[in-house]
Amino acid sequence: MSEESLLAGIKEAHSDSIESAAVLQPRCISVVAKMDGFVELAESMKTRFGFTQPVACGGVDYPGEQRIQMIYYAGNPEHKVMLTLRVNLPRDGPRMPTLTGVWGAMDFHEREAYEMFGIEFEGHPNMIPFLLPPDWRGGHPLRKDFKGEGVTQ
Amino acid sequence: MTHLGLLRAVAANSFQFSRTDAGFIAEAFEAVVSFILNLPWIALEFLQVNAKPLTQVILLPGLAFVLVFAIIAVWFERKFLARAMLRVGPYYCGKRSGLLQVFADFLKLFMKEIIVPKDMDFMFFAAMPVLVSTLPAMAMILIPFDSNWVLWDIGSLSLPMFFAIAGLAPLLPIFAGWAANNKYSYIGAFRVAYMYISAEIPLVICAAAVAIMAGSFDLLKIVEAQQGMWFAVPQFLGFAIFFLGVIIESERTPFDIPVAEVELVFGWRTEYSGILFGFTMMAEYVLFQAWTLMFITLYLGGFNGPVLLGMTTASHIFWLLAKFAALVVLIILIRCVFPRLRLDQMLNLGWRTLTPLAVLNLVFVLALKVLGVY
Amino acid sequence: MTEPIIKPDVMRISWGPQHPMSGQTRILLDVDGEKVHKIIADLGFTHRGIEKILENRSFFQGIIPIERMVMADTTNIGMGYVSAIEKALNIEVPERAKWIRSLMCEMSRINSHLYAFGLQAEATGYFPAVFLWTTVDRTILLDLFEELTGARWSYNFILPGGVHKDFPEGFQAKLIKGVEYLRRRFEDYWEAMVENAVFEARCNGLAVLKPEDAIRLGATGPVLRGSGIPMDTRKDDPYAAYPDLDFDVITEPACDVMARTKVRYREIGESLKIMEQVANEIPEGPISTKTSFFVRSKPAEVMSRVETARGELGIHMYTEAAPNPYRVKINSPTLRNMYVFERLAELDEILMADIPVVINSIDPWYLDSDR
Repeated sequence: MSEESLLAGIKEAHSDSIESAAVLQPRCISVVAKMDGFVELAESMKTRFGFTQPVACGGVDYPGEQRIQMIYYAGNPEHKVMLTLRVNLPRDGPRMPTLTGVWGAMDFHEREAYEMFGIEFEGHPNMIPFLLPPDWRGGHPLRKDFKGEGVTQ
Repeated sequence: MTHLGLLRAVAANSFQFSRTDAGFIAEAFEAVVSFILNLPWIALEFLQVNAKPLTQVILLPGLAFVLVFAIIAVWFERKFLARAMLRVGPYYCGKRSGLLQVFADFLKLFMKEIIVPKDMDFMFFAAMPVLVSTLPAMAMILIPFDSNWVLWDIGSLSLPMFFAIAGLAPLLPIFAGWAANNKYSYIGAFRVAYMYISAEIPLVICAAAVAIMAGSFDLLKIVEAQQGMWFAVPQFLGFAIFFLGVIIESERTPFDIPVAEVELVFGWRTEYSGILFGFTMMAEYVLFQAWTLMFITLYLGGFNGPVLLGMTTASHIFWLLAKFAALVVLIILIRCVFPRLRLDQMLNLGWRTLTPLAVLNLVFVLALKVLGVY
Repeated sequence: MTEPIIKPDVMRISWGPQHPMSGQTRILLDVDGEKVHKIIADLGFTHRGIEKILENRSFFQGIIPIERMVMADTTNIGMGYVSAIEKALNIEVPERAKWIRSLMCEMSRINSHLYAFGLQAEATGYFPAVFLWTTVDRTILLDLFEELTGARWSYNFILPGGVHKDFPEGFQAKLIKGVEYLRRRFEDYWEAMVENAVFEARCNGLAVLKPEDAIRLGATGPVLRGSGIPMDTRKDDPYAAYPDLDFDVITEPACDVMARTKVRYREIGESLKIMEQVANEIPEGPISTKTSFFVRSKPAEVMSRVETARGELGIHMYTEAAPNPYRVKINSPTLRNMYVFERLAELDEILMADIPVVINSIDPWYLDSDR
């Protein structure tokens, strides 16, 4: 199956930048990467392994383990496989380089992740508020310890 | 001398007032008193003398014609458009027919507040809808409804005068769009300017061709020259161009670009509310009326038609109104069927297609004239 | 929120929420005369926090908020969420239920495409005739839905384990009659709209999106297929009864607005074919596996992708040992297509008069992009 071959190729080429890679379910693979060399890894996913189609990106908050996992979804139009490229960020002051240089369409989704989780993306061209109202009083809604403090009247 | 006789002599400037001051005051007082006492008879005589111009001003083609047409056309268009869209249209007002809907809407608009945003040039803004409704009505007084039923009979100046008055019509939306201090109105005003510049030129050329073929600029003579055959037949090109021109000038779909509701909220009419909005809506129909009547006069034989029941004047008026009604229905039908053109496509149409064809039409008419066919 | 205006002779128009045709969003246009230099999409007017809401609802309760993402196309979105739940909880769905689900998804797709078709007609020139005809035809579909499910747009019919109820008496015959009626109307639309000279003049050659740009910018749904790329989740990652049904993926080689309109139009034809197949060949059997309303899950992570009318919807669900999901990430198709829309001003020359036409060819539904 093409997922297996892609996984084998990824593990072989980037064994030092990834922590783990596995098949999540048919037609979907999951790669957990380290923070260093993340942008180069994404770039090689796009150019070498054919994941040229950006889909979305989002985050998951694990307050118990003090980490936020940021996931980038990309599609491969040739093999019809979806990649979920993940990276773990510390929960206090999460920062990471932006992937808009690799997949331009991550623009909107990274703005949303900034609003919802508080992740700062270095080098983002257009970090302006996206979904939340302009008179939002602070707080990041999708974190698990959000108690509704930012909601306006 | 009787009171009326006194007044007639005063009016005819043949009465000799007495030379003394007291006598003068007495006779003047008597003249004024007799005027007031004889007011009904004076009014009756006035009406008898001026019967026909008054009928023309009040009924046809004056005030009543314009207003009644606007009312009936609005109702008819709403019903017709509704049927084309598998709907019913106005239904509840007026015993299941919707005839009183127009009155209801008009009354509602009267009672609404006229919202005046800040920094708006209110004098211009409020004056424009009124002018835009009445200016085309002024152009309509030149149209002959019968051989001796022209409200403003200026002979051979009538065709150029119509274009002079109707040519002022585009200026008014431009003023309105500027005065409203709103980006959408501003863009709508520019679109009006572009559109009318490109549309007037083919129209004037076609009208010139008609005048050449009829041998005169007088609208009455143009109608009489079509007694044998309507000018639509030899000047088929001009007929088609002028028909398109009527739709463009009255800002109807597919050419209602200045008022493109899906792009600019309402173009130059955006900021109008209340009765001013009612006037802008009426303006569309008055302009439509003026241009359609002109089209019928130039190309479809005006009031010519077989005489019914021996009454020449009435049957002439009937034929003109019948042709007018048929054209109105056709143009409303065109609205149901076509989407709207874009501004640059319309300008291309006007400059690249209509103007050369209009010149071709003119050359063709000149050739016919020189060869003596007409 | 707005960025500073860069060029001095450029006017920034707010094609804003108070507008007859803008939908529930604000789009800032930098225009110079008629030419649009830049489009900035200001989304977020209808953000309701559905992802957060779903974390606080049990699995069955979550079906209701998530169906409110797109009102014209609720079945497909509900299908995505319920597929994710079934994968997470390892619930088997019987065959007949899968066929009924496919039927409802296709009816929903026709519903949404007819609405988009009508809006496209209205955008090209206040041409509400076609919009009202499509509304009348959608009534036929809504009546069929009401027969089957009891509701007209928000059905809550597809539940984890199967569907709620079986076909009523004589429903298959009604389906076939409905399909015949819609097929006749189908021909009318082609002649009245697509072959209309003015409509062609407005839509041909407008907003061309080349195939490599379509993939690079992340387009999805009819926007992607209108540029000639045959990606359809019903074939790429099949779900429900689609492996057993016979239909084609519609693509069009010309990459302009007319191509996307034609793709949507012909997809209606394909959906009608599927409806007929289901009405004729649906297998007998149970319609659901019994699942308790208060089902608790085990820790799992699943990804479910469905093809809604607007594009591919992805639901990435994390579950813990709890009655609620831990995190539900919704990858909405309209958000992907809105990015394409923003970049269209740079790829091709768009005039301000074309903006409604182009927007409706992307077919956005802003409640979907804002969630």
